[in-house]
Amino acid sequence: MAGFLDNFRWPECECIDWSERRNAVASVVAGVLFFTGWWIMIDAAVVYPKPEQLNHAFHTCGVFSTLAFFMINAVSNAQVRGDSYESGCLGRTGARVWLFIGFMLMFGSLIASMWILFGAYVTQNTDVYPGLAVFFQNALIFFSTLIYKFGRTEELWT
Amino acid sequence: AGVKALVALSFSGAIGLTFLMLGCALEDYGVYWPLFVLIFHAISPIPHFIAKRATYDSDATSSACRELAYFFTTGIVVSAFGFPVILARVSVIKWGACGLVLAGNAVIFLTIQGFFLVFGRGDDFSWEQW
Repeated sequence: MAGFLDNFRWPECECIDWSERRNAVASVVAGVLFFTGWWIMIDAAVVYPKPEQLNHAFHTCGVFSTLAFFMINAVSNAQVRGDSYESGCLGRTGARVWLFIGFMLMFGSLIASMWILFGAYVTQNTDVYPGLAVFFQNALIFFSTLIYKFGRTEELWT
Repeated sequence: AGVKALVALSFSGAIGLTFLMLGCALEDYGVYWPLFVLIFHAISPIPHFIAKRATYDSDATSSACRELAYFFTTGIVVSAFGFPVILARVSVIKWGACGLVLAGNAVIFLTIQGFFLVFGRGDDFSWEQW
């Protein structure tokens, strides 16, 4: 009974070499998640135009998430390891500090969006959709960042 | 691949634009805001061409620039689908019109992708195929 799936293999599709396309697939999936997150927020802003329903300050989380996305993905893993020939303008330590700050901004925005959802919407007696929109925008941007950062392999660049 | 592919692609492009125009011009609807998705259609190939120009090294399977181009192209496509939905959500257009515009979007983006598949082959974008 144990290990009965050990010999299971996905059906083979030999027409496309997925290993070569891994980076493209990861980029497309990340793009879908990122922009879906933004359009959810745009939708909430359009359907709930009054500041009492959706405080305009809540857009800050999405902006910082987006900034963090580009900061995190601006440095390649090779630069952080110190492997690449050109050291970039900051060097290896600079790249690590940049990545650290980027991830901190990303996690901070995610936590802030959860705080907004619970503090400003769930615990008050109002329509909760704008809070969900802020949360999902930041969660989707977060997952998009992870997929774009770690779903691509840099070996395909050589 | 040649004239037949070109005719087929232009036909599907016309069908896609027909769906878009039906979504705007039918008597029930009569609102022309959805035509703004044409902007998304027009700019969708641009990231790909920028990336193609910016990276001269074609030995590598992929490059960071090309992947960023895929990312932004996907974003433009998602935006072209999101825009009519937002319009329908605030009742600027009816949901029926939204459905027609989304169908038109799908067909037009498939046509654009078809252009790249059929005419993008070859080391450089040569004009021999014409």
